[in-house]
Amino acid sequence: MKWRPSELRVRKLGMIYSYPMGVWLLVFFVIPLAIIFLYSFLTRDIYGTVKYPFTLSAYQAMFSKSYGVVLFRTIWITVLSTVLCLLLSLPAGYAMARSKNQTFLLFLVMVPFWTNSIIRIFAWITLLSSEGILSHMLQGLGLLDQGMDLMYNNGAVVLVLVYMYIPYSILPLFTTIDKFDFSLLDAARDLGATKFQAIVKVLLPNIKSGISTALIFTAIPIFGAYTVPQLVGGKESTMLGNIIVEQVQKARNLPLASAFSVVLCLASTFGVLWMLKDAGSSKTKSSLSQQAKVEANVKLSHQGDSNERA
Amino acid sequence: MKEHDIERLHARNNQVHLSFSNIMLVFVLFFLFIPLIVVVTYSFNETKEMNFTGFTLQWYKKLFTDSSALWAAFTNSLLVAMLSSITATILGSMAAIGIKWYQFKARKAIISVSYLPMVLPEVIVGVSMLIFFSSLNINLGLFTIYIAHTTFNLPFVFLLVSARLDEFDYSTIEAARDLGATETQSLFKVVIPSILPGILSGLLMSVTMSLEDFVITFFVTGAGSDTLPLYVYSQIRYGVSPVINALSMIVILGTMALAWVCKSFLKTIAANS
Amino acid sequence: MNTFPVAASHITRAFGDFKALDDVSVTINAGEFFSLLGPSGCGKTTLLRIIAGFDYPDSGSLTFDGKDILDLPPEKRHVNTIFQTYALFPHLSVYDNIAFALKLKKRSKEEIDEKVWRFVRMVQLEDHVFKKPSQLSGGQKQRVAIARALINEPNVLLLDEPLSALDAKLRQNLLVELDKIHDQVGITFIYVTHDQSEALSVSDHIAVMNKGKVLQIGTPYEIYEAPATEFVAKFIGETNYYPATVVSFESYKDEYLVKALVPELGGEVLVTDFEPQEPGKEVAYTVRPEKVHIATELHTKADRLINSYSGVVEEPVYSGFQSKYFVKLDNGSTVKVLKQHENYMDDGPDIEWKDHVYVSWSAEDGFLIKEMGQ
Repeated sequence: MKWRPSELRVRKLGMIYSYPMGVWLLVFFVIPLAIIFLYSFLTRDIYGTVKYPFTLSAYQAMFSKSYGVVLFRTIWITVLSTVLCLLLSLPAGYAMARSKNQTFLLFLVMVPFWTNSIIRIFAWITLLSSEGILSHMLQGLGLLDQGMDLMYNNGAVVLVLVYMYIPYSILPLFTTIDKFDFSLLDAARDLGATKFQAIVKVLLPNIKSGISTALIFTAIPIFGAYTVPQLVGGKESTMLGNIIVEQVQKARNLPLASAFSVVLCLASTFGVLWMLKDAGSSKTKSSLSQQAKVEANVKLSHQGDSNERA
Repeated sequence: MKEHDIERLHARNNQVHLSFSNIMLVFVLFFLFIPLIVVVTYSFNETKEMNFTGFTLQWYKKLFTDSSALWAAFTNSLLVAMLSSITATILGSMAAIGIKWYQFKARKAIISVSYLPMVLPEVIVGVSMLIFFSSLNINLGLFTIYIAHTTFNLPFVFLLVSARLDEFDYSTIEAARDLGATETQSLFKVVIPSILPGILSGLLMSVTMSLEDFVITFFVTGAGSDTLPLYVYSQIRYGVSPVINALSMIVILGTMALAWVCKSFLKTIAANS
Repeated sequence: MNTFPVAASHITRAFGDFKALDDVSVTINAGEFFSLLGPSGCGKTTLLRIIAGFDYPDSGSLTFDGKDILDLPPEKRHVNTIFQTYALFPHLSVYDNIAFALKLKKRSKEEIDEKVWRFVRMVQLEDHVFKKPSQLSGGQKQRVAIARALINEPNVLLLDEPLSALDAKLRQNLLVELDKIHDQVGITFIYVTHDQSEALSVSDHIAVMNKGKVLQIGTPYEIYEAPATEFVAKFIGETNYYPATVVSFESYKDEYLVKALVPELGGEVLVTDFEPQEPGKEVAYTVRPEKVHIATELHTKADRLINSYSGVVEEPVYSGFQSKYFVKLDNGSTVKVLKQHENYMDDGPDIEWKDHVYVSWSAEDGFLIKEMGQ
């Protein structure tokens, strides 16, 4: 058989390597998404399944007042929690990047992050419940009525959401700030900038990509949150995720659940695209892949990286 | 001696200042750990009350001797984590190699699709899979959980291995061919050993994510196939449970051990490459 | 050791619109140190990769010892490559890197051990045998790459800018070592470089390439002293280069003495050439700076074979062992002059900025370039 160097990159081998994953994702991810897209245009039948004629009734149902309130709440909770995450993570990530004990600090961030999410929510329930330690303290100080919960309200939802997703914003911020050349800050000070000006005018523009990654990876899961509002929220804390679950599991209204999912899906996708576009023109093309890569890396390989340096 | 003095001077300069950012970092770490510390403390509390009335190990005893449903759930979690992470690691690593060095049909499509599961909210992945399985009349259970976990693990393995491949010098493969290795030999003797840290971190991360997942599992689970997070959820919905406190303590210790093992583990691998 | 001549003929290789190699032919003798020299993007690496078997030409042929080998995969070609990036296997120790090829051939443990140590000694890495590549310096990595390739007993060794990632001093040392190793193993070395001084100092023959074409093949002496084209003259060393027109020629010794009009030098110059030149032909007249004499007084010996001009030193550049002067002639043109400082304190009067000087050179030191534009 004749040999050609181009065979180093033959098509067939690439397909053998990559198609198994491609097919897996097609069958178990793309097709399911296509199905909910399809379902969102169908109507529910009495058995909790779906039936044809194509209608827009599921989408029309979304425009009822009660759902509008939920949508609005989901948005403000997402914005507030994301902003809080970012405001806390920026200085924390900066301090971590400048620290000599990066590995240890990363370890400290990783442990709560890797601890099972349900366990962490449970920990907050312990803290916030009417018999919880925080309530006790506040009751002792007379700031809280006896038997009152700190839980089951929107404040608790925001607090726990921030707690759950703050590692998602600390880690990418830490990674980008760590790569930042701190002598630029000295240079800015040397040229007459105050410390605050140096940070706003020199540091922040240079870590834009980290900020947008942090935004995306906190905002999207918060927008689709289900567990936190379910467990620590009250009747007035329902978010989009809860509605979807309710429609699937209790009401068995698959078209409506699908329609909400499609909206959530589109909102997330547009959110990602918008933030990527916002993240500076230079990085527009590096796109999703880069951001996602950072995300994948922050979760684990971090530790390896910082060790290599140490 | 002189050097020593200079080092000391530097050390003094590098002392931690009470700057705004350091205070915030301490605050954030405190915020991150406070709930964990509280849970661990109460796991040793005699009564269910929130006042610390006395030290006891009774909840641990109960956890280990009288919680068969919990351990059944744990076994399920472990089984699913093992199988799904191994599947995801094999498929994801292969795909990363194929995408990195070969041109073929649908290459770009595979790349784009592989990022999506990571950026979509978990609820959507869960709902779409549930509807998919039920429309095919597939019984929900451990098998569907395995499928779902493999699906959300794949992109992470793919990305971690791809990142590792990006650092890999293609001429190393040419060097192997040049020295007499065939395509297959260079794959097994050069490529895979070189990217092993990426593959292993993908595997570890898959195991972690699989053990931790609640939302997606919540949708695709069936009767009698509770995983540990699902079991915990069912226990805590209606309030505080001391046995779960004890379990949390074990989980936190396990997580710390994992983080620690990973660290030295990755360190060794990193030093070797 | 076995070695063989390598012949590439009429090789063309295009990447899209870009012609990396355009009808390139070179013949490389068995056992010689042959350099492919040119700026980046000239096609030299592509040619090397085709010889190694990592790339395939669009047309043309490639023979080893007269046999066409284009269809052989790299592992069957009996050539080995030293990669620019070293391409050491990061997960293997120095020992296992060097033993890689022998292990693939399933040689006995004893044989592998004996040979690996022999080559380790040859490249002087005895102290680093069990280190990983990441623990080695650039020079050490390069040595591992050399040993790893040579242990395979290739008939031809291909070197792709092997020294480019090293600092200047180290580069010199390794170059001398490479030359020694070449003498020791006696096989053909094909060496790709963009550094003319590297090529000049070790090669038996050099092929100068630019824009996918081989412009000249010759010994280092021929390439330097008789460059065939404008590009070669300017790329190899430094030169004073002026457009000229042939006026007439006459026989001179066993060569020809050509009279050429050089407007930038303000008139006609005499220059020797191997061939008679047709009057009226557009050529270029060039003379190497080190062939130009510089003095504060005019040469008294009048000789029609000496070209002599007066001017002012515009910019003296002292660099220890020599000085370079940019002399602005009275007519406004510039002549570059190199002067060696051979004797301390006895080097003639100092020449400084703004000094009025005379520059001169012999007709035999200038030369004509007939192929301009490439």
